[in-house]
Amino acid sequence: MTSTTSKQSLSARIKRELNKNLLVYIVLIPVIIHFIIFQVYPFALSFYLTFHDWKIIGDPEFVGLKHWKNLFDDEIAWKAIWNTVKFSVYYILPTMALGLILALIINSGIKFSGFFKGLFFLPVVTSFVIIAGIWGWLFRGTEDGFINYLIGFVGIDPQLFLSSSSQALLVLAGLSIFKVAGTTMIYYYAGLQSIDRQLYEAARIDGANSWKMFWSVTFPMLKPIHFYVAITTTIGSFQIFDSAFLLTNGGPNYSTTTIVYYLYHQGFTSLNLSYAAVLSYVLFFIILIISLIQRKYIGKDPNYY
Amino acid sequence: MSISIFKKFGLLFLVLVLSAVMVACSDDETNSTDTNTTTDNGSANSETEESTGLSGEITVWAHPYTDGTTGEGDMWKTFAADFESETGVKVNFEQIPWANRDQKILTALAAGQGPDVFYVIPDQMPQYAEQQLILDISQYVTDEELSGFVPTAIEATSWKGKQYGMPILQTAESLVYNKEILTELGVDENSLPTTWDEFKALAEKAKAAGYYAFSYAGGGSLNNTLYPFLWQAGGNVIDESNNILINKPEAVKSFELINEMYTKGWIPQDSITALDHDSLYFGGKLLAVNGSGISVNRLLAEKPFDFVIAPPLKDAEQLTYGTVGMFVGSAISKNPEAAAEFMKYVTNTENQRTFNNITQYIPTRDDAKDIFDSQPYMAQLAGYTQYAKPGIIHPEGRNIMPVVQAEIQAMLEGKQSPQEAADKSAEAIDKLINK
Repeated sequence: MTSTTSKQSLSARIKRELNKNLLVYIVLIPVIIHFIIFQVYPFALSFYLTFHDWKIIGDPEFVGLKHWKNLFDDEIAWKAIWNTVKFSVYYILPTMALGLILALIINSGIKFSGFFKGLFFLPVVTSFVIIAGIWGWLFRGTEDGFINYLIGFVGIDPQLFLSSSSQALLVLAGLSIFKVAGTTMIYYYAGLQSIDRQLYEAARIDGANSWKMFWSVTFPMLKPIHFYVAITTTIGSFQIFDSAFLLTNGGPNYSTTTIVYYLYHQGFTSLNLSYAAVLSYVLFFIILIISLIQRKYIGKDPNYY
Repeated sequence: MSISIFKKFGLLFLVLVLSAVMVACSDDETNSTDTNTTTDNGSANSETEESTGLSGEITVWAHPYTDGTTGEGDMWKTFAADFESETGVKVNFEQIPWANRDQKILTALAAGQGPDVFYVIPDQMPQYAEQQLILDISQYVTDEELSGFVPTAIEATSWKGKQYGMPILQTAESLVYNKEILTELGVDENSLPTTWDEFKALAEKAKAAGYYAFSYAGGGSLNNTLYPFLWQAGGNVIDESNNILINKPEAVKSFELINEMYTKGWIPQDSITALDHDSLYFGGKLLAVNGSGISVNRLLAEKPFDFVIAPPLKDAEQLTYGTVGMFVGSAISKNPEAAAEFMKYVTNTENQRTFNNITQYIPTRDDAKDIFDSQPYMAQLAGYTQYAKPGIIHPEGRNIMPVVQAEIQAMLEGKQSPQEAADKSAEAIDKLINK
């Protein structure tokens, strides 16, 4: 009797819910189907693959933790993770700083600010392959490379740049900063526009100079933007692949082999898809943990006043 | 009121979705029934089908072998139409860009779809064969049918005694010199280096005159960098019984040569990771490159300078790199007979003439090589295919490259000696094949 009542009440509840929100469910169905096919299924399948050997066609063969154990003996994988961490250090803060500086320039009311906005944003809309090609040409390691030619004027010896294991990653980070700073500029510019002008007036009345106003008003008020930009550039930095793929092929001597480059190589050149899946999970956990830390420390609601 | 409208709308939507799903499913059923019927009935519908015993259709994936201006598209249309009229098999031809072709083919095969026939080169083939991705065509092709091909091409298309591919094209790399620099150095084009020692002497001369002697694209494939020297020195990377040979004394000589070329400045400073030295070469700052038909045709088209082709160098042996392009069949093809027949058809003498005339590659049949009668440079390169080795034919061939490349890079950076680089390469290869 009781169960019948609860059943009735359940079906009644479902009916009521449908009556109320049917349209919402209908609209959601395609999104959910898409999400399941393109997100949940690959995510689950790749986890399943980490415990199997898969020969592309045919059925995967169960091998237990073999691929996870391989990870611990694989020096190149650890080098790739370390390279990626180094890349993040070279990339995240400079991208944020450069984006903020560019945003301050176009927000300062200088003449032709629209022109500068377009100019600073140009690398973002240009194809990465083209930008990488130009970068490779600029930083050619021969004496007649453009940057080598320029630094020759101030008496610096020609540098190897992409052919040097100590410089190559820095040059690649420079390329990514150049490519992405325009995007962070737009976020910061939007943030700057939304800061209440009264705060600056109040600061001025209190006798603050521009420097003081920047650090006491502008910078803290941009906290949500800092958070968003930090998260996206961090994720971007851990997913860095294209520049290493286009300019160095991971060299010299693995110094620009990043985790995604290595993963790609394992999966699609060596056909070791299961090990590539393990690496992709490592990447996933790294990004997850860093995002959680960032949320804890800079993701809190800004304490405005 | 509004709720009931939403309900009706929702119901309609559901009906639409469900009927779409049902149509999709029943479509599948019809298709599969159709296929079954065709197979069951054999090929009773047309005369050609009766005579060849073939029917149905196949999908062929190939890549853009030219820039598209020389009639490549029409060529494939004619091939497909002629094959259909001869055999009754419909050919669906698809042109796939070169970039990431491995991934495209693999993802298609993994999904149980993809082409029946596709294009690979010899260092991919054993890997595909070991993974049982491609069709053993030994049963469809007779020894007599294979006898018309150049022996090196057949060698490059078989693995462990089984024939997997039908070769359509060949390349051979050889030294292409900038004639103007040679003149400036006072070197006669008829007495160009044939041995390592002669080449070193010329390189020193070029360096002294302010030129780079040679290109070394250390970020690219070892087929164009280490391997030719390695083979010339009498060495190899690995043999068929998985013995690692890369750190044997003769092989180490090639590491030493590369190191010498770098430290003496005969090759550009960025050779460690460079992907090419085209701008230096075409800009007239580099004496010679290892070039193939593509470079020769580019030189003929752009005319940056006069050039001369010399035979591959010789140390212990005279060898160079040259690939063989082949068509292979998919192991999951539903129409393997037709796939094999198409591979044979497209590589016959007449079609090889057409294909290689349009694409400017070298035919893999001697009797088709007459297309270069009026093209002296291509004829000269075609003559060098006898020295051409198609890379390391081993399932791990492509995986070996990056590990050896990294050790050479460390050597060129001065972090290890040629012997150490060779030893570490051997260690890394051992790890790869015994993993």
